[in-house]
Amino acid sequence: MDITLLSAILVLVLFGLLLSGLWVGFALLAVGLVALQLASPAPAGMVFATKVWGSLNVWDLTALPMFIWMGEILFRSRLSTDMFSGLAPLTRRLPGGLLHVNILGCALFAALSGSSAATTATVGRMSLPELQARGYDMRMAIGTLAGAGTFGFLIPPSIILIVYGAATEQSIARLFLAGVVPGLMLAGLFSGYVALWSLLNRGRMPPPEPRPSLADRLRAAALLAPVIVLIVAVIGSIYGGLASPTEAAVIGVVGALALAAMTGGLSRGAAFDSLRGAAITTCMIGFILTGASFLTVAMGYTGIPRSLAGWIGQQGYSQLALLSALMVFFIVLGFFLDGISIVVLTTSVILPMVLAAGIDPIWFGIFLVLVVEMSQITPPVGFNLFVLQAITGRGIFEIARYALPFFLILVLATAILALFPEIALWLPSTMLNR
Amino acid sequence: MRRVLNGLYGAALLGACLAMVAIAVLVLVQVLGRIIDRGALLAGREPIGIAVPSLAEIGGFLFVAAASLALAATLRAAGHVRVTLLLRLGRPGLERGLTLVVLVLAVGLAGFATWHAGAQALDSYQFNSLSYGMIRVPLWIPQGVMTLGFGIFWIALVDETVTALRGHAPAFRRAEESRETGAGQ
Repeated sequence: MDITLLSAILVLVLFGLLLSGLWVGFALLAVGLVALQLASPAPAGMVFATKVWGSLNVWDLTALPMFIWMGEILFRSRLSTDMFSGLAPLTRRLPGGLLHVNILGCALFAALSGSSAATTATVGRMSLPELQARGYDMRMAIGTLAGAGTFGFLIPPSIILIVYGAATEQSIARLFLAGVVPGLMLAGLFSGYVALWSLLNRGRMPPPEPRPSLADRLRAAALLAPVIVLIVAVIGSIYGGLASPTEAAVIGVVGALALAAMTGGLSRGAAFDSLRGAAITTCMIGFILTGASFLTVAMGYTGIPRSLAGWIGQQGYSQLALLSALMVFFIVLGFFLDGISIVVLTTSVILPMVLAAGIDPIWFGIFLVLVVEMSQITPPVGFNLFVLQAITGRGIFEIARYALPFFLILVLATAILALFPEIALWLPSTMLNR
Repeated sequence: MRRVLNGLYGAALLGACLAMVAIAVLVLVQVLGRIIDRGALLAGREPIGIAVPSLAEIGGFLFVAAASLALAATLRAAGHVRVTLLLRLGRPGLERGLTLVVLVLAVGLAGFATWHAGAQALDSYQFNSLSYGMIRVPLWIPQGVMTLGFGIFWIALVDETVTALRGHAPAFRRAEESRETGAGQ
């Protein structure tokens, strides 16, 4: 069959099934089946069984449930309360005041959790009521949270980067480290925007609170110390080559349990809930990976990724032009697909083309995370929006409008990353061991 | 019948949870063993050499168990991702029709997955395939667990289809709706 016609059929089938509401894992499986039936005599059932078994039976993937579990434990502990009480005295004199708690809180929690939705929920359920009580502009409070919640995927540990690393056979440790500096840069850009906005809109800011005393500051630092220790133990042991990502994640689980036990607030029931929640999230991702692994091999049989790569090679586009086109494409996909689905679709179809254009796969992982973050805050399907809708009771489109400035900052950060790839690639190159 | 099915989904989810706990415990033993050995080296003694043999392989098997055994419970908790764009239009007829269509498709696809995963496990059993590591695990065991997870998923999908055909809202739809209205938080 003509490859253009085949591609068109597969795209139609995929989007038809997705739009009708078929679960993403099944939709990927179904498209893979159609592709194999039309393009290859390979026995679909046998290919399916071997690929799925091979794609799930992977040691690197064990980091996934462990990091998810760690985040679930911390979500149910007193951590979000402690983090708010710890960050508030340190930020209330900054221009923008406690709005920075959203950004710093998300950055800190993102360093303990691999998910954007969990980050948004954990920080938001504490900070939003507090900000409202203190008279902050709710549009800005919700917008900063929606934007900063996306750090969950960029700042390691990151579920998206584990999925990308496992699907493309890249080192997860290197991917994690590549996310650190871009994450800090993004936090800086968000904070800078908040400070600038508050200086331009003094009328919409509450009156400044008194300067915290030294005792206040010390008490705040004491509340934050356990969080910082846990972050250093987890990320530091990966960076130092002391632990594989899975080992670091298990250290994180034990540390999170100890932290929750020390500060109280994690009942036996909540501990079981954390395990159940982690099992469900792990299974959700595992199911998408199952469908994606089969789709990847089916696409390989059709030859579409190969000819796409060849075609791009002939066109002689510059890397920047290619990346701009991809970014627009991903933003459109992000309007109605979730992040993990975008990543697995990319690795099955687009990656050979990206590699053929001479783009570094580690760098591309970070680029992909940034675009996926945009998809988290674009309506009508954006997981951070759903979380914020549940917390605030406001509509998806209203929340997305508040988040728009932060969406634009994400686009800006992606452009900066494309112009200066070292922002992502420098830290992993300094890694000790391996 | 309802109680038996819910018990089945709950037991499978428990299995998935236990697989996760097993990963954590095994990896923790490995990490502690290494720390003890480094301590022993620093103290000038012989390292004891506590290590979990074939951890990488067994960890992979346990991940397969965790991911596949939870499939049914994740479905009913509306944990599996799907696009609910058209359902949000608020047309009850369209919603019921689409729910049935995707359920029937899913039953077929899950049946395909279970059948071929089972055929693979049977092959491994008949040819007595073993894993490559220090501990040679017969592959039919973890592959059988994966098949079991797919099979229970298939049962859960049939269960939901029957519920939908009887004119009731399936469990995953109820979970989605309570989440959309914010009652789930």
